[in-house]
Amino acid sequence: MENPFAEEPKATSAWLWQVFTGVGLVILLGLHFMANHFIAKGGLRDFADVVAYLRNPIVLVLELLFLVFVTTHALLGVRAVLLDFGFSESIEKRLSRALTVVGVLTIGYGLWLTWNIIR
Amino acid sequence: MISMKMLEIPLQIFRYREGEPPHYDIFTVQVADTAHVIDAMDAVWATRDRSFTFRRACHHSSCGSCSLRINGVEKLPCITRVMDVWDGHAPVRLDPLRNFPVVSDLVVDVSAFFQRMSAAGMTITRSAEPSLPVSVDNLAVTGVLSRPVEVPESLSRFNRFENCIECAICMSACPTMATDEKFLGPAGLAAIYRARQKADNPSDVAHLLGLADGEHGVWRCHSAFECTAACPQAVDPAGKIMALRRELIARRFKVAARAAAVVPRTRNYSAPAGPTKHGGNGA
Amino acid sequence: MATLNYPKIRRAGRWFDVRRRRLGMWAYTLNRITGIGLVVYLYLHLGVLSLLARGQSSWDSFVSLARSPFYLGLDVVLLAGILIHGLNGLRIALTGFDVGVRAQKALFGILMLAAAVALIAAALKIFGD
Repeated sequence: MENPFAEEPKATSAWLWQVFTGVGLVILLGLHFMANHFIAKGGLRDFADVVAYLRNPIVLVLELLFLVFVTTHALLGVRAVLLDFGFSESIEKRLSRALTVVGVLTIGYGLWLTWNIIR
Repeated sequence: MISMKMLEIPLQIFRYREGEPPHYDIFTVQVADTAHVIDAMDAVWATRDRSFTFRRACHHSSCGSCSLRINGVEKLPCITRVMDVWDGHAPVRLDPLRNFPVVSDLVVDVSAFFQRMSAAGMTITRSAEPSLPVSVDNLAVTGVLSRPVEVPESLSRFNRFENCIECAICMSACPTMATDEKFLGPAGLAAIYRARQKADNPSDVAHLLGLADGEHGVWRCHSAFECTAACPQAVDPAGKIMALRRELIARRFKVAARAAAVVPRTRNYSAPAGPTKHGGNGA
Repeated sequence: MATLNYPKIRRAGRWFDVRRRRLGMWAYTLNRITGIGLVVYLYLHLGVLSLLARGQSSWDSFVSLARSPFYLGLDVVLLAGILIHGLNGLRIALTGFDVGVRAQKALFGILMLAAAVALIAAALKIFGD
């Protein structure tokens, strides 16, 4: 009996990535927040502080990792909200692709900005 | 003998006829203080307005026909006492279920619900009543269904014993059902769980898990747990969705797949602690 | 067959109708609202960070603005959003793996209590310094 609900069964890994980045963010965002607002004098870093902070290689790696994780988690979340509206499969594919482009551009912008600051 | 008091109960009822905007009517009827809401609805129909349209049958929560919203919350009026939902003065509001098209008054079109049951391979019909393909056919135009469901030849396979009374209350309570017409929903996914428990060949298992893993399957659930809270029969659809996820994830990582599979162990989160029978009571 | 179909645009808003809803629905709606708020904040934040590319004077004048009580208040709101979304997210992650499903209401209560405690402590520190 052919099933009227049968669409192409897809292995859906988006949710797993959402959980992985989410758990990662509990750590990375926690570190980011504490480093920038609780360790920094007066709770905020002025320009010289920011430069010195980002020139530390460990900090640089963690902050860039944070950028990737937060962008991924945020855009997967937007995608989840949009998919809940039950658009057609072709629209859903286009949305996913558009969000991927936004994500890449966001991370690219972050990398450019960081390079601008520390050079 | 229980002494009963008679009460004057005001009901605020959603009314709708095709071509007219919906509105509420308020009727006051006299029922005993031990009455259930369905008795008050019967009284409205019998003594106030013969055009009042609603579904009811068994009066004891085994048919699932009468489901609706009482004061905005999904309930079965046949087992809900009037005194439990009436504060003594404001009218008791009756609305149809959410997330289904309204046919008239409190009756909604539940074809989409039964399509999902069929999607899990669960059809139950007597050979003299091939009604399912006919009603399902009407929905072909909405794009949900591409062809009518065929009635299977061997019917014994499709008898089932389970808690679900197919009242669709969970589907009304689910926030994802509110926005995504194609979501299989708590009822559909719980049915897939039950079918998967009984599936005995790999192609059936693959088909069922494929449905669960699809774009309108378990991953569209956002853990509101409204379905389990609203279910009058302890089906625990949310628990079934999470159990399906567990198996899908384990299969993805090929880790402890047998231990995580839905078939060898069943955990019924809403049943009292104790051994659960394998096979018989699937929910 | 006569049907009353709500127009699509009204359907789109139905996920945050929390009237007469139970705890789990509140948790879901809160998570979604804080999530959307945090996405908006993320892009605002990234936009503001571009001031760093414009040099010391641009950034440092922003920093002095950011020390005002109004901004600090916004920071507390941001932190509330982060704590609610993050801690409830952990609950969603757990239950999504079929862990702690039976305890999901209690889990929500405990995590939101932790969020409240952390928020108060952080607010005191933010305004104390």
